Amino acid sequence: MNLARYVLWRIVQTIPVLLGITTITFLLTNAMPGSPVDIMVGPEMDEALKEALKERYGLNRPLHERYLIYISNVLQGDLGVSFYYDEPVTQKILERLPVTALLVGSAYTFGLGIAIPLGVLSAAYRNRWIDHVSRVIALFGVSTPSFWIGLVLIIVFAFHLGWLPSSDLVRPWRSPAQVTNASTWLEVWYLSARSLVLPTIALGTLQMAAAMRIERSSMTETLGKEYIRLARGYGVPERTVLRRHAFRAAQLPVVTIVGLNVSTALGGSVLIETVFNINGMGRLIITGIQTQDYPLVMGTTLFFGVLFLVGVIITDISYAYIDPRVTYGDAE
Amino acid sequence: MAIGERQEAGSDDVETRAVGWRHTVKAVREDTTARLGLYLIGALTLLAAFTWFDYLVFDYAIAETVWYHPENDPDVVDSLLPPAFVDGGTWAHPLGTDHRGRDLLVRVIYGTRISITVGFLSTAIGMIGGTAVGAIAGYYGGLVDDILMRLAETIYAIPFLVLVIAFMAAFGRSITYAMVGVGVAVIPVFARLIRSRVVTVREMTYISAARAAGVKNRWIILRHIIPNSFAPVIVQGTLQIGISILIIAGLSFLGYGAQPPTPDWGQMLSESRGYMLPQPWFSIWPGLAILFTVMAFNLFGDGLQDAVDPQLED
Repeated sequence: MNLARYVLWRIVQTIPVLLGITTITFLLTNAMPGSPVDIMVGPEMDEALKEALKERYGLNRPLHERYLIYISNVLQGDLGVSFYYDEPVTQKILERLPVTALLVGSAYTFGLGIAIPLGVLSAAYRNRWIDHVSRVIALFGVSTPSFWIGLVLIIVFAFHLGWLPSSDLVRPWRSPAQVTNASTWLEVWYLSARSLVLPTIALGTLQMAAAMRIERSSMTETLGKEYIRLARGYGVPERTVLRRHAFRAAQLPVVTIVGLNVSTALGGSVLIETVFNINGMGRLIITGIQTQDYPLVMGTTLFFGVLFLVGVIITDISYAYIDPRVTYGDAE
Repeated sequence: MAIGERQEAGSDDVETRAVGWRHTVKAVREDTTARLGLYLIGALTLLAAFTWFDYLVFDYAIAETVWYHPENDPDVVDSLLPPAFVDGGTWAHPLGTDHRGRDLLVRVIYGTRISITVGFLSTAIGMIGGTAVGAIAGYYGGLVDDILMRLAETIYAIPFLVLVIAFMAAFGRSITYAMVGVGVAVIPVFARLIRSRVVTVREMTYISAARAAGVKNRWIILRHIIPNSFAPVIVQGTLQIGISILIIAGLSFLGYGAQPPTPDWGQMLSESRGYMLPQPWFSIWPGLAILFTVMAFNLFGDGLQDAVDPQLED
């Protein structure tokens, strides 16, 4: 099976999952007590007005009918209009997505940038000081709540030392005229980088720790393999053994974990965006749930699901680049 | 997943399994950090049991007699005191007080109750549900497998926090729903794990033998497949308790877990957010408590993993 057909097959496979996500969120949002109309206008409002609103948003129709209407709209690329913002959900997502993408992307860069070298060194120098240090870092990393790391960073670096801002993310694509204290693009990017440091560390620490542990154990296992011993026996220098022979072969489990953790990172962004007052996707979902904004909740959750599935498919494809033995076989 | 595929593929009769368990116990005993983790878990569980006892039977009378009431406002309100070792602190409140003058040490200690209980129970829900789903999917294969695994993937594709918050918005904001929600959300983790084991075990000779001898499917799954697939589940379960505690703390932080005035670490952190500038120590202690607890489960879980997985043993 070639790559294009494989990708197509994988996309077909995601259809039931996407349908499942839509169904679950539809049922959960509609099971919320009370009516979104009460939140829109207040419960003591005139009944006629409420009915008019229900009519407008199609809330007076039976559940199954609304479900079918929703699904058919989604298939046409229409996620509906948010009750709370009174704007199309798609527009709201596109407005917030770059912020969360920036946050998650920089958290991943930070996490993997530390995890991969440290994990490799940890495996190469097993039971030496660098191994002990990185294992302790990893242990703390997987045991510490990300939002608490955020709080501690704010206390130390924003309140106590005053080095970095404690809230609000400066968007690097805003023009200098829209950003306070900036007159050139360079200043915008500088301010943006400064405001990104603390949330990045808070969100990236868990990713770092998880990747570091997998990197270490996978490298350790690979370094014990026969062909590595053979290479060493031939007198291949240890650096070359690590770089050329072991590293690439050991990356499969790391890539798997990184791909699956996209979901964890998106969930974590809900917390980190709350701690740092960043208006991203995470806060959008929370707002949607708090205001019983059915279209917003369903749209954003579906979008998160799509992101996750795309991540998994990319992971699977990258297997073949890392390990030439992997072929795109039939059905998984 | 990788854990399940690697180890003891040949432990197919009772004899080797028993030896395997004995080996595990021995390995954990010799592993200092794993032992430390186990002792910490034991101590925290005892503490949680004690706080439950005080809460249910005496309505916090023990805490109030010995020290302070963990929920009620004190008679003399000394709010936002720093810990004793900082200027302005007093040994009457070793860790300081919160915004309502309640003693932070007592509240942190009594917060063990929610975290430990919810960590254990939500993992138990995930483990039982996941084992059932994974075993059935892996054993029967075909359409049953497809449907169950797609369903698991669906739940997995929605971020934990979002799923659980939506679940609680639908059913009610309380720690019980948070626990059930997290339990349901982690079912796929265990289902995938046990399924990958079952698929291997299913092909073993003794299963074919059992089938040929006319043993019922249900009996084969319960008596042979599940016990032989259980080692990685125990390891994952130990680590999962830590993860669940972290998730629940996050939920409480967002206001979707334990509700005030219940002493709970995530909820305390949520309250402390408004006072980070005047009294930073308020935000420190509950976080340290979470870190300490989750680390105990990680230490033990890692030791257990090394013990059942000889390839990675140090």
